Amino acid sequence: MAADGALEIFPQIQALVLDKLQVVSYKWLSRNFSVSSNYAKRLLREFAEKHCNELEVIYTLSGWLKSEPQAYCVKLASTYKLEEVKQVFKDNCSVQVYSVQACIPSDLAVIWNAEFVQAEELFNQPLTEGNCLRDNRFCGVSNSFVKRIVDGKHVGAAAPWPMNGKRVAIESKGISTVKGQPIQHPQQGSGAKNGMQSSIAVSSDNSEKVALDAASKVTKPPLIKESVSGGNTGKNKGQNVKSSSGTTSSLASLWGNASAKSKPAAPAAETAIDTSIAAATAEAQICAHEALDAANSEDEDHHNNHKRERNSVSGRKRRVFLDFSDDDDEEENVTSLSSPDVFKGKHAAESLPKTESLLDRSKPNTAEPKGDRLSDGLDSTKGKNSSLPSDADERIASITMGGISLKKKTNSYNQGDTDKNNKDVATTSTSPKRRKVLKTRIDDRGREVTEVIWEGETADSNMPEKNISVNDSANRPPVANKAQAAGIAASTNPGKGGNKKPGKGGLKDAKQGNILSFFKRV
Amino acid sequence: MLELRLVQGSLLKKVLESIRELVTDANFDCSATGFSLQAMDSSHVALVALLLRSEGFEHYRCDRNLSMGMNLNNVSKMLRCAGNDDIITVKADDGSDTVTFMFESPNQDKIADFEMKLMDIDSEHLGIPDAEYQAIVRMPSSEFARICKDLSSIGDTVIISVTKEGVKFSTAGDIGTANIVCRQNKTVDKPEEATIIEMQEPVSLTFALRYLNSFTKATPLSETVAISLSSDLPVVVEYKIAEMGYIRFYLAPKIEEDDDMKP
Repeated sequence: MAADGALEIFPQIQALVLDKLQVVSYKWLSRNFSVSSNYAKRLLREFAEKHCNELEVIYTLSGWLKSEPQAYCVKLASTYKLEEVKQVFKDNCSVQVYSVQACIPSDLAVIWNAEFVQAEELFNQPLTEGNCLRDNRFCGVSNSFVKRIVDGKHVGAAAPWPMNGKRVAIESKGISTVKGQPIQHPQQGSGAKNGMQSSIAVSSDNSEKVALDAASKVTKPPLIKESVSGGNTGKNKGQNVKSSSGTTSSLASLWGNASAKSKPAAPAAETAIDTSIAAATAEAQICAHEALDAANSEDEDHHNNHKRERNSVSGRKRRVFLDFSDDDDEEENVTSLSSPDVFKGKHAAESLPKTESLLDRSKPNTAEPKGDRLSDGLDSTKGKNSSLPSDADERIASITMGGISLKKKTNSYNQGDTDKNNKDVATTSTSPKRRKVLKTRIDDRGREVTEVIWEGETADSNMPEKNISVNDSANRPPVANKAQAAGIAASTNPGKGGNKKPGKGGLKDAKQGNILSFFKRV
Repeated sequence: MLELRLVQGSLLKKVLESIRELVTDANFDCSATGFSLQAMDSSHVALVALLLRSEGFEHYRCDRNLSMGMNLNNVSKMLRCAGNDDIITVKADDGSDTVTFMFESPNQDKIADFEMKLMDIDSEHLGIPDAEYQAIVRMPSSEFARICKDLSSIGDTVIISVTKEGVKFSTAGDIGTANIVCRQNKTVDKPEEATIIEMQEPVSLTFALRYLNSFTKATPLSETVAISLSSDLPVVVEYKIAEMGYIRFYLAPKIEEDDDMKP
């Protein structure tokens, strides 16, 4: 069996661990594939050796402690800490693979999740179904209180069988009545219910998988279930809802460690846990207890927080009352003092437009003195809506948009691009009837002079002037032209790279190593 | 005769998008083992090496070694005409000066043919020796991209220092300085999210962020990135391409003249 089984099981483990990122522990393996836990451990060890590079292994170490010679201790350890933990034990401890997973999970509860879901599934199966947990098939412990069924034969005696069975029945009934759906997917329903989708959604993949695996083995005749539920009378009817949330609560306890998001559901979960305790099965019971504790402590924290918050809020208000208790019109004071938020909001709202308008002004100011005057001109004429944007207009608009120093070169540049700018301008600025026009020329002393003049309806008359100035720019010394061109390039490419490259190119080259100095040509 | 059929056509699109910013023209070398490319950027500071192994293709046929010079922007233009789910087939005849890209929609109801002219590019092939790196940092690729992007808004070079505590990315600029430290973190929900540092000895190198930022264009190709550092060697930024190969970027470090720059 060993060889055959391994051949069958390995690919499945691989798919689960590496693709679905599930934690596969020996317990899970043993129950899922109905193999003994020792064999499951061996399988996992073999698997881990084969795939040691792709996955993380958690070992279980057991033995007598050095510090307390009386204590037999079982510890879990990851590969990294294996040696370290070994030191804690006396001479020889047993080291077995506990689980394999793609990575060591940040939330350690994940290690236990798949197992728990599986255990729950098994206990949720109808009574007629025999399974490895119920008949204790793989149990290694043997004494008079443990009942074990191996191949249909009872081993051991005095089992708490009936009680156990009843609990299971109650729980399974709870689920089935509420959901009217196969048991195999309690997680989903409860997840939606609790509003814990986020926490469950993460893990639902896993749990579903487990559920499906289990489902493939479970055949659950609904008739039997009905009869079972019929057998449980009145009390259960009243509990239907509760016990259903009971199962959700045990699920909540499952994911309980992922606290923050499940908090809103905590009060419901708490009451639910109370009822579910009665309905829990052996393992689940312990879990429920733990979860209850967790939920309680979480809840307490939660409440405390609430209280503190409330205290702080109401305390402040009360203080207000006290301070102004002398005054006749308490209410006024209270309202005025307790509503600073409103005031703030108002203030902010009021001040917003102001700052905006300030910004509007300051933007061009900081940008460029020339652009400033220009855009002011535009601002002043903004209100008036005139339709026909002329060439000159567009030029101005595009110039101010660029926020660049205006030179004749720019003019000519923009002239070429008027068509392109046309649309932008049409949307961003309304064209005034009378507008300022920027003119740049070289004066007699060779300096560049930029003038802003008002251009009226007689735009046409100005056009020749402009052309002249453009021509002037063409006559300028080539060096200056180059610089301007660079400036234009930089400012018209708003991209950072464009700005950085020309500025720092020189520096970079000095320090930047060359790849050819590391690799030789072939 | 060359014929390669790639079911996951979007992969080729992503590959092109990740290198075309760095390199404009390059030779694609096809051999029986796979489809590869090696090219330097124009300033000879960075080098990109791409390998797509033949096993990764649904169908791969390459009768004799073939080197196809292409303008990557043009290839990208062609590939952009392919849908993300399309199956892409690249075909070229021996001695032909064109290459054909064929795009098939997943349900086979649309087939598009694009023929592109090849060009002659004399490129030098560099021999990249296998080297032991002093430190290898594996981290989520999106995290690395974010860091490079963030730092480039403050400075234009980054000092990457690896110590046993973690990896530190620091920069300085006109407006101030920035330090980002990523600690080793193996306890995560998915292996891709882990930050793993394998370090032989501490190493600290300076690089131009501009190049690193263009390397991060390959982020969609892989969830993790491996950064291998050694003093006196170019950094290697490697993105694995699922079950097919890799894309590796090499970047020459900036030469430290003044020691006080070092942390």
